[in-house]
Amino acid sequence: MRLRYDVIVVGGGHAGTEAAAAAARMGAKTVLITPDLARIAQMSCNPAIGGLAKGTVAREVGALGGVMPQATDASRIHFRMLNQSKGPAVWGPRAQCDRALYPIAVRRILDGLENLDLFQEMVTGLHIDGGVRGVETRGGVTFEGEAVVVTAGTFLRGRIHVGGAAAQGAGRAGEGPSIDLAEALEARGLEVARFKTGTPPRIDGRTVDYSRCERQDGDDQPFRFAFYTREPLLKQMPCWITWSGTALKDIVTRNLARSALYGGEISGQGPRYCPSIEDKVVRFPDAARHQVFLEPEGLDTTELYVNGLSTSLPPAVQLEFLRSIPGLEGAMITRPGYAIEYDYFPPHQLNHALEVRSMPGLYFAGQINGTTGYEEAAGQGLVAGANAALAVLGGDRFIVERDQGYIGVLIDDLVTKGVDEPYRLFTSRAEFRLLLRQDNGPSRLGTLARAVGLLTSGQELALEERLREESRAMVWFRDYTLSPEAANPVLDAAGSEPVKHPKRARELLRRPRVDARALLMAAGGEAPDFDPDVLATVEIDAKYEGYVRREAERARRLREQANFAIPEDAPFSTFATLSSEARQKLTRIRPTSLAQAGRIPGVSPADLQNLVMEVRRMHGLPASRGVGAARG
Amino acid sequence: MDRGGSLLDTIVAQATPSGFGAVALIRLSGSRAVEIAGLLMHEDAGAMAGWADRTSRLRSLYRPGSGSGEPVDHALVTVFRAPGSYTGEDVVEISTHGGHTIPGSVVAACVALGARQARAGEFTQRAYLNGKIDLTQAEAVADLVAARSSQGRAVALHQLERGLGERIATLRGEIIGLSALLVQHIDFPEEDDAPTPLETVAAQARKVGRDIDRLLATAPSGELLREGAVTVLAGRPNCGKSSLFNALLGSERAIVTDEPGTTRDAIEAVVEVDGFPFRLVDTAGLRGDAGRVERLGIEVARRYLAGADVVLYCREAGRPPGRAETDFLASLTSPVVVVRTKWDLATEGDTGDDHAGRGGGSALPGTRGETPTDAEVPVSVRSGSGLEALKEVLRDLAFQGVVENRAEVPVVTSRRQADLLKVARDEVEGFGEALAGGIPPEVASAHLKAAESALEEILGVISTDDVLDRVFRDFCIGK
Repeated sequence: MRLRYDVIVVGGGHAGTEAAAAAARMGAKTVLITPDLARIAQMSCNPAIGGLAKGTVAREVGALGGVMPQATDASRIHFRMLNQSKGPAVWGPRAQCDRALYPIAVRRILDGLENLDLFQEMVTGLHIDGGVRGVETRGGVTFEGEAVVVTAGTFLRGRIHVGGAAAQGAGRAGEGPSIDLAEALEARGLEVARFKTGTPPRIDGRTVDYSRCERQDGDDQPFRFAFYTREPLLKQMPCWITWSGTALKDIVTRNLARSALYGGEISGQGPRYCPSIEDKVVRFPDAARHQVFLEPEGLDTTELYVNGLSTSLPPAVQLEFLRSIPGLEGAMITRPGYAIEYDYFPPHQLNHALEVRSMPGLYFAGQINGTTGYEEAAGQGLVAGANAALAVLGGDRFIVERDQGYIGVLIDDLVTKGVDEPYRLFTSRAEFRLLLRQDNGPSRLGTLARAVGLLTSGQELALEERLREESRAMVWFRDYTLSPEAANPVLDAAGSEPVKHPKRARELLRRPRVDARALLMAAGGEAPDFDPDVLATVEIDAKYEGYVRREAERARRLREQANFAIPEDAPFSTFATLSSEARQKLTRIRPTSLAQAGRIPGVSPADLQNLVMEVRRMHGLPASRGVGAARG
Repeated sequence: MDRGGSLLDTIVAQATPSGFGAVALIRLSGSRAVEIAGLLMHEDAGAMAGWADRTSRLRSLYRPGSGSGEPVDHALVTVFRAPGSYTGEDVVEISTHGGHTIPGSVVAACVALGARQARAGEFTQRAYLNGKIDLTQAEAVADLVAARSSQGRAVALHQLERGLGERIATLRGEIIGLSALLVQHIDFPEEDDAPTPLETVAAQARKVGRDIDRLLATAPSGELLREGAVTVLAGRPNCGKSSLFNALLGSERAIVTDEPGTTRDAIEAVVEVDGFPFRLVDTAGLRGDAGRVERLGIEVARRYLAGADVVLYCREAGRPPGRAETDFLASLTSPVVVVRTKWDLATEGDTGDDHAGRGGGSALPGTRGETPTDAEVPVSVRSGSGLEALKEVLRDLAFQGVVENRAEVPVVTSRRQADLLKVARDEVEGFGEALAGGIPPEVASAHLKAAESALEEILGVISTDDVLDRVFRDFCIGK
């Protein structure tokens, strides 16, 4: 059987579903091929979407028309806005989702896309003849197409480790690994490396003594991740917090040799920010206790995800240490934790479209690029899918810049710096944190998505409505004047000096701690109501105007550097005025702009100055005319 | 890492001054350094490969193409292989006999064998490019070579030994530490360790600001040591300025500079006084230039006055100050030393008065009823008396701060360093003010990033994920 498509997506996880949906929205005839259609968009790790930076990425995916935020809204059973005690610039939305309902919601959205087909089978090989020509499946079906997006997750030569048992090949607990595809890609000369990650055990909630745990309810205020759609709110569930203490530490220490991670069975590098309990005990021996979050797995199950206790110790030890924790004395494990090792392809082999540089038409997205996290995978999937579609349908590449989105930061970091541990986003990875906020996705990315054809007509209408609301809110705060009688109670609540004369709302909003919604309420019946996102946008704009402007200015300077193009074939190794380390790094990464070169570790400001000179010399231009090589 | 700089050609130069000394050092650096040295010694590649790193051997050196005839010289040859050498490349050092002829012949032989005559500073440039030294060290090498005094050399040497670079790297580390505390606030709000209180962060920031200030306080000293204290001579025609100028010059090792743009205004010379550098500036010899003569009758290199570290005002012994002089002296903002010149003429035929001039170093007798005031230094160029006292006064006036700041070395020695340090200091202060003004930490942290960038620019290095590294090292993060 031979089938022809514009875009072929291999894998049905968070990267694959976004890639397929993006390509289909853009009008490309698209197929998503995955070994088990019943397990599309699985949450392999904890049943939550969002958090700091990650929540912003999830919303960016939504602003670009993607699937993840809508599916999150449809399956959320607990929501918290993290960092609400801090300024709105670093708020991080996070939802616990019903693990069973999330994939159903994704499937519903995919089924609503007219250009998208789904096909269940394992992809075993690639057809390459000059460029990419298609893929081969285990069952002998050939899919022909000139753009292939591979999103194989942890399935490439995945091996699961549980302490005390022999490692077994697996892509996820209970699912087979993908070995043929890994070998086919490696045979094409791609560099391969190995990472590890781990999961904690899950337990039966009926065996938990909740009276000994601290209950954590979600926020009262309902929140939605999606900018363009609304989903009904399900019943909300609490999370629970307890603490592991010295008893657990003793048990783990005593059994360390039986851990797959510490027994020497695993060689790959694991993430520092997601340490196993073995890591925590070994690296921070003085910590008296560690937090343990019990997260609900869903509305129709009593299972709980024991976040904070990722481990590869034998199941018997897992049970023993669990039972040393207050509230879990009688706990029963439903699924033991495990560690998994898998192949990834070091992402410096990609360009900013996530296309493999040596194999035009082949795109990688998600964990295959050395990242972790559903949100990071989704963001990459969307960009890879859009570029695959553009390559076939015609059009410029779709690139999110570092000052436009965390997705841009993520991809640029991957391509420019590479990874030496599984990559996760943090707000501190972004140099334009004040611009890249969870509230302003539509104005940052919505218009970009609309221009490139990533939005459906329904999404376009919703975007326009949202942008209109933003400007209405800006105008209201700029023009509306509050009397001292109306304003002073709000100022008093914020610990701010009262006013004697009427003041414009925006002037009052500039003061620390003065809340935009409180000003709206103070205005009484005359004031319109605005979306919380829109209010956050107005408030940040008023409060941190100078800082936002300074960041925007830095972003502009960076753009200038980005405009200084470096030829793709620049002979970096012959640029004698550069340091040897810089020559080596530039040769490996092959940056295409001065800005990108400036972000490569080991390339100094002096190297950048000299790089400008060398490139000018290449072009036969006078070397001295300066492009500022200062870093953004 | 590749064999640093193997792409660059091999350079050669005599490292010791030409014409001086019994021994001359010739240095070869580059991928062919060992090979060229081998050819020079008639040693084959195998023998050179067996030559242990950092060991010296006595060898005969031959001109290329001369067969095994008469050697040019017998020399001590030392091999330093990359990256364990000054430049980070393969380096061979050849100690030949000194003089003009032999070292020149050896360099010429190296060039004939494929090396290139090094440009000024090229060895240091390579060391920087190969990551052997940071930018402050590279600057120190330049300062060292150009140092105008032994004190200047001491500062440059300290900087070369990474004094300044280390101090700045430490400051940068402290700022990264502050950022890490904020990252803990922002990115990891739900962790085991409660975040550090912002008041503590602000207090630490103030301390870093003070540390930067202390370093900045050395900048004027650094500039003074590097450039020399500008010492402007002034006085009426024929008051003895030229003689004083020459006397100060003559008794010390001095270089009369011929820098473009200065000769038309004045004569300038650098003189080392007690190890401290002074730039003497005089209009002497330019009397024909009417523009130089002030209407008041006082000759002075006026355009230097504003930037003068010291003004030496000359007035002959026995002549009381005129109105114009008094007005002129009152108008000066720099410290002034009034030199009573020609004191020997004044004292002829008169001995006995035991009055000591200022500085106490050499007492000169007063005469004709005249006694130099405490603010005046009597000098006789002819006998040389009073010169030592004048030098002491000069040194104290210009370099008192440097001497007192001795404990504060490393010294900031370039304008570039000082400017960037100021940026860093202002940003750190801005951070503290922002926090105090209710700006949330995630916004205020922009100041820390800017401060960090400024310090990195001084060092010429770039950080990557240092802040996150710090967070993961110091805090147990993650679920």
